[in-house]
Amino acid sequence: MMNRRVVVTGLGPVSSIGTGIDVFAAALRAGRSGITPIASFDTTGFVTERAGEVHEFQPYDMVSRIDPAEWGRSSLFAAAAARLALTDAGALDVAAGSARVGVCMGTTSGESQVVERLTEHWLRDGYRPTPRSLARQMPAGRVAEAVSRELDLRGTTTTVSTACSASNYALGYAFDAIAAGDQDYMIVGGADSVCRWAHAGFYRLGALAAERCAPFDRDRAGVITAEGGVALFLESLDSAQARGARIYCEVLGYGLTCDAKHPTAPDAASVARCMRLAHRDAGIKPDEVDFICAHGTATPANDAAEYEAVREVFGDRLPPMSSVKSMLGHTMGAASGFSAVAAALALSSGFLAPTINHLTTDPAMPGLDVVPNRARPAQAQIVQVNGFAFGGNNAITILGRLA
Amino acid sequence: MTVTTDLPGITTVLGISGWGVVSPYGLGADEFTAGLRAGRDVTVDAAELTDEPVPHPRAYALAGFRARDHLGRKGTSFLDRRTAFAVLACRQALADSDLVVDDDNRERVGVVLGTSVGSLQSTSDYSRDTHVQDKPYLVNPILFPNTVLNCAAGQAAIWHGLRGVNATLAGGGTATITALRYARTMLGRGRADALLVGAVEEYTPHMAWAGSPGSDGAPATAGGEGGAVFLVEDATAMRAAGRTPSAEIVAVDVAHTGAGMDVATALAGLVRRMLRDAGVAATDLARVLSCGAAEEERALDATVGRQADRSSVTGVAGDCPTAAGALQVAVLLAHHRRTPDDGSLSLIVAGSPDGTVGAALLRGTGHGSRNHR
Repeated sequence: MMNRRVVVTGLGPVSSIGTGIDVFAAALRAGRSGITPIASFDTTGFVTERAGEVHEFQPYDMVSRIDPAEWGRSSLFAAAAARLALTDAGALDVAAGSARVGVCMGTTSGESQVVERLTEHWLRDGYRPTPRSLARQMPAGRVAEAVSRELDLRGTTTTVSTACSASNYALGYAFDAIAAGDQDYMIVGGADSVCRWAHAGFYRLGALAAERCAPFDRDRAGVITAEGGVALFLESLDSAQARGARIYCEVLGYGLTCDAKHPTAPDAASVARCMRLAHRDAGIKPDEVDFICAHGTATPANDAAEYEAVREVFGDRLPPMSSVKSMLGHTMGAASGFSAVAAALALSSGFLAPTINHLTTDPAMPGLDVVPNRARPAQAQIVQVNGFAFGGNNAITILGRLA
Repeated sequence: MTVTTDLPGITTVLGISGWGVVSPYGLGADEFTAGLRAGRDVTVDAAELTDEPVPHPRAYALAGFRARDHLGRKGTSFLDRRTAFAVLACRQALADSDLVVDDDNRERVGVVLGTSVGSLQSTSDYSRDTHVQDKPYLVNPILFPNTVLNCAAGQAAIWHGLRGVNATLAGGGTATITALRYARTMLGRGRADALLVGAVEEYTPHMAWAGSPGSDGAPATAGGEGGAVFLVEDATAMRAAGRTPSAEIVAVDVAHTGAGMDVATALAGLVRRMLRDAGVAATDLARVLSCGAAEEERALDATVGRQADRSSVTGVAGDCPTAAGALQVAVLLAHHRRTPDDGSLSLIVAGSPDGTVGAALLRGTGHGSRNHR
């Protein structure tokens, strides 16, 4: 079977700490926090009221083909991020009208705000009539379809809904599609929107922090719910070189496992197996990994399981491992996509994104270097991106500096 | 400068070694096959399903379905309807196959399920609770995972001990074809040995209203629910092991209209390429199944023509695109189960209102079920 090398040549983040790769990279370097008081819903009665919202998101300024009035917030995040990534790749002319360009976007809850608005309508006015214009916006598959429609892409269009590792699934699927020759180019990433029910659900699980997200900290209290969209443009190495594109990094491989154990509790053994699959797929050994972009949600259970798995696979030599969720909050289906962007920057721009809000590393995690509070200049060669999820859906990607 | 290639891509043929189905025509492959043959009216009065008003009085639905009647009491009290359907259909598919899942291979066996929005009842009720409880956060933490779209696939893995690739793909009427294509990539790239692939949907007033054209006053049609799951493996590997698939997916692909939103033209182009690449003429097709949309019919007019033996799955699934996509495949498999010496080719097509189009070519093998091995 054909096996082409696959590279990342465009990045498009739409986030609470900045939109566009230059602003986003500067924010990661500066260790900026995007956590603010919630504006998208009425927090009266809630105990905690902070989230990572993209207050400045102006879809009318960011998409040109699709009409924002007809699309939910997550789809608009996806379309806006994809346009940024394609522009960053200098590939707008490559893509339009092509059946060789596919799309794969991840999402946890799809158009959660549309479901909320429908629910509020049903509560207030009953089912009859249900506003068609709103109901039409609900299918989660529209998250990827928005990208294809906005950019006139005609290849395979897929929305992966494997919760909070969905962007890593998307990255893996695109890697396979290009490596095997099913597609020549892929736009991948993820998108989700802040919503009331997730805020309530995480709180009731005892997994929601009130003020700040502090992954791997002794006093970590949980996630801060967040939103955004992120996209990466992938193509074959041959294609990137032929058109003289700037190459951020190479996609070396990935691994997927399922815990098949519990809907929400993470399973360290299954995560460790996922890491080993990813390393084998990428053809690397653990000691070649220079940096890990952690899943790092800051829930006590996730971070403990993630540490345990890393310890099992890497032994005594743990690579630096930081979590961009400390800055962004938990952007759900976009989360591992944002981590992949941080990984691409570590490989191309020579810095490791920090874990901010860090006071005391959990004493149960000896040897762990979370890149505390300040970005670190370093030239990583190989970066591992962790993504875990409800449903036991683990996905880990491996990115490398182009040799 | 661009590099454009015309590569073969992944050409793995998917062998179906067993299947399960949840439909008012019957639960499981045998009941469903017999039910389709009998051809009786399986619609039920929607009042048997819900006390709420619904857009159409009838539904292709499983009145009286309770998860515990099929899966037992243990662990079923918190399953939403969609998840219960998925767990059951996966169990049926495993039982229908000769593949033995045990500790030697459970890390290589997984689940790939299509959906539209997950369980809308679960998410909407959760959202509702944030408004009607004394405090907005007084939601039930145990039900929180039900609000996430991958709940059903994750539960199917738990129930059946499947630790391999586990994915959920959102695509409504095109979700099953998308899931088959994803599965082909996973098998073709050696990431799994066997995958339970399909889609299921629940009938609730939420879904009936949100999914119905009747929600803005247009004429409503009978709703539906259910779906199907297929255990797929690499057909070549199956044969090498002395096993025979009950049917094969010889081609499957998904594309998009792009900005133009001409579903009929995009689907026709996809079907033309697929038939050409497979060396199949329209006259070779014994059956062609659509999901019933006008754009799909126009694409078929332009490709396989009106002479082909064409039908729509709407008379099996009702107005329920996600279930319809899965039941398209189930209807073909039921045909091969009834007529096991039939090695004929069938085409299925689907399109979404937002531009995704998909198609698959299915071939009978002369072994419609494991009874013929």
